[in-house]
Amino acid sequence: MAMKRLLVIVTLMLSILALPAAALAETLYVKKSGTKLQSEASASSKVVETLASGTAVEVVKKSGRFYQVTAAGGKKGWIFKFKLTAKAPSGGGGGGSLLDALGGQQMAAKESASGSSIRGLSPISEQHAKSKGISKESINAVKAMEEFKVSAQEVDAFLKAGKLGEYAQ
Amino acid sequence: MRAKKLHWTTLAIFILLLGGSRVSQAFDFGGLLEDLAKPKAEPEKQEAPASAPPAEPAKKEQDGGLIGLGESLGLIDKKSGDLLKSGVSTVKAFQPIGYEEEKAIGGSLAVQVFNRFGGPYKNEALTRYVNLVGQAVADVSDRPDIEYHFAILNTEHPNAFATPGGYVFVSVGLLKLLRNEAELAGVLGHEIAHITHKHALKTIQRGQALKGLTSLTLTAMNKDMGLFDKVIDEVSEILFTRGLDKDLEYEADKFGTEYAFRMGYNADGLKNFIKVLGQSHKGESSIFSSTHPSPGDRLGHLAGESGRYKGHVLYPVLTKRYKSETQGRL
Repeated sequence: MAMKRLLVIVTLMLSILALPAAALAETLYVKKSGTKLQSEASASSKVVETLASGTAVEVVKKSGRFYQVTAAGGKKGWIFKFKLTAKAPSGGGGGGSLLDALGGQQMAAKESASGSSIRGLSPISEQHAKSKGISKESINAVKAMEEFKVSAQEVDAFLKAGKLGEYAQ
Repeated sequence: MRAKKLHWTTLAIFILLLGGSRVSQAFDFGGLLEDLAKPKAEPEKQEAPASAPPAEPAKKEQDGGLIGLGESLGLIDKKSGDLLKSGVSTVKAFQPIGYEEEKAIGGSLAVQVFNRFGGPYKNEALTRYVNLVGQAVADVSDRPDIEYHFAILNTEHPNAFATPGGYVFVSVGLLKLLRNEAELAGVLGHEIAHITHKHALKTIQRGQALKGLTSLTLTAMNKDMGLFDKVIDEVSEILFTRGLDKDLEYEADKFGTEYAFRMGYNADGLKNFIKVLGQSHKGESSIFSSTHPSPGDRLGHLAGESGRYKGHVLYPVLTKRYKSETQGRL
């Protein structure tokens, strides 16, 4: 009788241990706005949605360099795994501090918002350069450097041509 | 009775097993954390008290606890106690430098980079190529949500720099030494890692210019240009003459390698470039020789790193694309 009960307990334990990791609802966050949620684990597949920085996603499945996730709103798709972080956005709560202590990635959605609104050489930087007698050419070189842009589409085409990033095989 | 005892023992073993497995599963992000936790160098941990907000309980204990105890026992008089308390809160309460301030500091240093190291190398196609590789690597870094800007310096000395706020520079001399795109990605990854890990900012926070201050705001710097001057003078001396702490350079090497790997490049790019730099007589004229650890030491620290990246040797180095993108432009 006792042995039978023990057997039941052990079976129960083993079945709980064998639960898939996906059942444990792993939450990750989108690192950068414009991240593509795609229909398959392939960069060439259809884009289901583009996600904003800090968006929480639940990991459903892992396949190579892609994670299948469910985004807020219930949309399911695949994301290139290095576009995700374990660190919750600032103020978003959810275990960030513990993950920080473990060496989690350091980024926050809060910075993204301020980052996009702060552009151009700061007036104080220009004032400092002038006070030090630094030539106008050097000041203008920084301004030109800031104005030089490559679009997300150009980067995407570049990766595709080089079989890099989400296009890596 | 014995059977009951056996049940409890089995249950205890199960709880232990379950606990262990749950912890490991909860922290397994498909290698995301594993990838990152490993390259983390010690300085990051050591600097935590300076940059991270203090934990409340610890603050309470230190402010009121030991100093308060010293006061009540008559070991410390009230005035000294107050001074000690304010000292503790000054050290602990220093606010991390914000992005706007970071950008102002980085922008000033970027102007100095152009001023000191040959000015801009004007070739739009080459600049676009460097920006594409740099942006791709920055996109998989730990701080992809700020703007990065990449420029080429018109000097034959093989130099590369990063200044806070997202400014990255490589010299035309360095591009001439590189043999493929994976090496360029590794070099840019190293510079990007200095920005993602805020190495210069952490160094400023520990420096003399900010001694006794609890924060560094743009408002304060606008009011007191002397303060801004002091900060820029101090950090430019470090970046362009003395160099950052060696451990920060090793950390940048590790994360630079990591970022290039994430982008799908052969992870040996940076390592191979450091070897080339060490063998080249041009390396002696590089800012690397005065501001970085020796190539031998850097390679020593990187040894074994690439072993962490499964199958990376099959990843591309893109020699052909590098040659075609740089041919006739260097």
